[in-house]
Amino acid sequence: MRWRVVKQVARTAFVEFWRSPAAVFWTYGFPLMMAVVLGFAFQPGTPPPVPIAIVDVPGASAMYATMQATERLTVELLPAKEADLALARGRVALLIKYDQDGPLLRSDPTRPEAELARLLVERALSDAGEGGIETVRAEVEDRPGSRYIDFLIPGLIGLNLMGAGMWGVGFNLVQMRVQNLLRRLFVTPMRRSEFLAGYLLGRSILVIPEALVIMLFGVLLWDVPFRGSYLAAFLAIVIGGWTFTGIGCLCASRARTIETIGGLMNAVQLPMWILGGTFFANEALEGPVRWVAECLPLTHVNRTLRDVMLESGSLLDVWLPLTALAAGGLVCFGLAMRMFRWQ
Amino acid sequence: MTGAADNTPAIELRGLRKVYKKGREQTVAVDGLDLVVHRGEVFGLLGPNGAGKTTTVEICEGLTVPDAGEVRILGRQWRNREDDAIRARIGVCLQETKFHENANVREVLTLFRSCFESGRSVDDALALVSLEDKQHARQKSLSGGQRQRLAVATALLGDPQLLFLDEPTTGLDPQSRRQLWQVVRDYQAGGGTVLLTTHYMDEAQQLCDRVAIVDRGAVIAIGTPAELIRSLAAEHFVIIDSVQSPSDEELLAVPEVVAVERQEQRLVLTVESVHRTLPPLLQLFAARDAAIDGLSTRHATLEDVFVHLTGRQLREGEEA
Repeated sequence: MRWRVVKQVARTAFVEFWRSPAAVFWTYGFPLMMAVVLGFAFQPGTPPPVPIAIVDVPGASAMYATMQATERLTVELLPAKEADLALARGRVALLIKYDQDGPLLRSDPTRPEAELARLLVERALSDAGEGGIETVRAEVEDRPGSRYIDFLIPGLIGLNLMGAGMWGVGFNLVQMRVQNLLRRLFVTPMRRSEFLAGYLLGRSILVIPEALVIMLFGVLLWDVPFRGSYLAAFLAIVIGGWTFTGIGCLCASRARTIETIGGLMNAVQLPMWILGGTFFANEALEGPVRWVAECLPLTHVNRTLRDVMLESGSLLDVWLPLTALAAGGLVCFGLAMRMFRWQ
Repeated sequence: MTGAADNTPAIELRGLRKVYKKGREQTVAVDGLDLVVHRGEVFGLLGPNGAGKTTTVEICEGLTVPDAGEVRILGRQWRNREDDAIRARIGVCLQETKFHENANVREVLTLFRSCFESGRSVDDALALVSLEDKQHARQKSLSGGQRQRLAVATALLGDPQLLFLDEPTTGLDPQSRRQLWQVVRDYQAGGGTVLLTTHYMDEAQQLCDRVAIVDRGAVIAIGTPAELIRSLAAEHFVIIDSVQSPSDEELLAVPEVVAVERQEQRLVLTVESVHRTLPPLLQLFAARDAAIDGLSTRHATLEDVFVHLTGRQLREGEEA
């Protein structure tokens, strides 16, 4: 293998990516957006107030005062027609109206906030009427390190190492094959090993800043803790990236069309999306599904990242999965080399 | 340009055969083709699409393995532990190659240059194809002609002894074609050998020292363009548009008229010389009072050679 050639191939792969705005967006922008959106979605804190309406009839003002005094409700007083419309459109979760027998609660029980609104209103009524049920205390778990967002950020890093690593290499290799560029390189004295090593190098380098950006983002914006070894985290990213680029390379070693590689990549990635432990903990799984999960590289990348970020793991704690991942990447690369077709 | 085996022909093909199988269907792409290309010549493979030109060239380039036959490139053989030695000495311009979309001209050339142990500098290659002022332009901003010149430049980087050009000017405008022809002539002037395929006769006539006409996977004629044209019964054509032309017998009685062909109201006469045929021919039309709506003459081309040999037009089999 001549380093000069490897370097040039890597450089071209790098430049090719960096100058393609769409690729940069989907690799860097999109995961960040996902981190922001998911972060907001699972932000701990006070739940938003539940909107209700009261039909504006004489005598409703006492009810209005009671409900307004209830902390988790927002109340508006509306004419009958408008109140019905507000409920129908879902703008309010519950409507209090009056008939001969007094107040009547009206709501659509299929809406999730409806039951909550009913409970809140009933409690407010019983508090006001009979002098009070004892206040129920509630506690919200919101300490950094055990929130969902803390679980999610290392998983998102793993998921993006997988996506960028596999798609970046796999898709581009097949594209180059389709447009005859691989055949053109084949008729030069370039060797397979030089080409593949260069390509993997160029692409693996690209995943490092991507993972670092998400990590930094989680730490700075969402207060995700970083408790372990920086070196271990860096190695987890580099080795994770290498493993997934190796898998991408293997997938692309023989595929002749974009459709084939797309399908193949999705087939390989889907189990990892579902069972790789990005969005929920796969340790809770049982039986064969758990075995499958344990065989997925993403499981180990995610677990290693969580160990390092959330559990103050050091290199000693994670050397085994990292070695296994590196070896897996090497096997993929070796197989890809043997199977690789230029045309 | 020196090499261990400089006295051997640049290309030697003997009994070459290649069959493509797709399901039960078999397509014989190359059928017992023999060919020798000498060092220093520009050799053209001329034939309609599907004649086996590209398969032949790809076998020479080591991209396709023949089913039978012998291939020697610069005295060496593929799959004989000489692949790297051959690849270091040849330059290839495939029929269609798209380089990295976002890389610029200089970067593409730098990548290709890195594969060769010795060869031209990137600047030299840029100058050879006159792309100096486009060196920082990305692929997507290049015209078809510029892309093709870049493809030729990548082929010249290893300072090859033998250059393969597969349909290098297809789809190019006349000016871009002439620019590429000049690149080929300059390369030949430096001692290089070229194997080029084309279905443009003018390109073959302009550029090639020798031409092989290929049809259905075999060489059906070989020689210099002038020799091939001389092999026709006569080298000139007189074309007359006329509603009431004289009969074939009368026309064939005119001195030096070799053949008569009618295409509706058009007469195509194959003649040995225009200056001796035309006066008596016009007298014949005058005597019959047959009005002439159009009259033209032309010299025979390689296309006529092809039609003469196969009874078909060169572009007949052309795919859309």
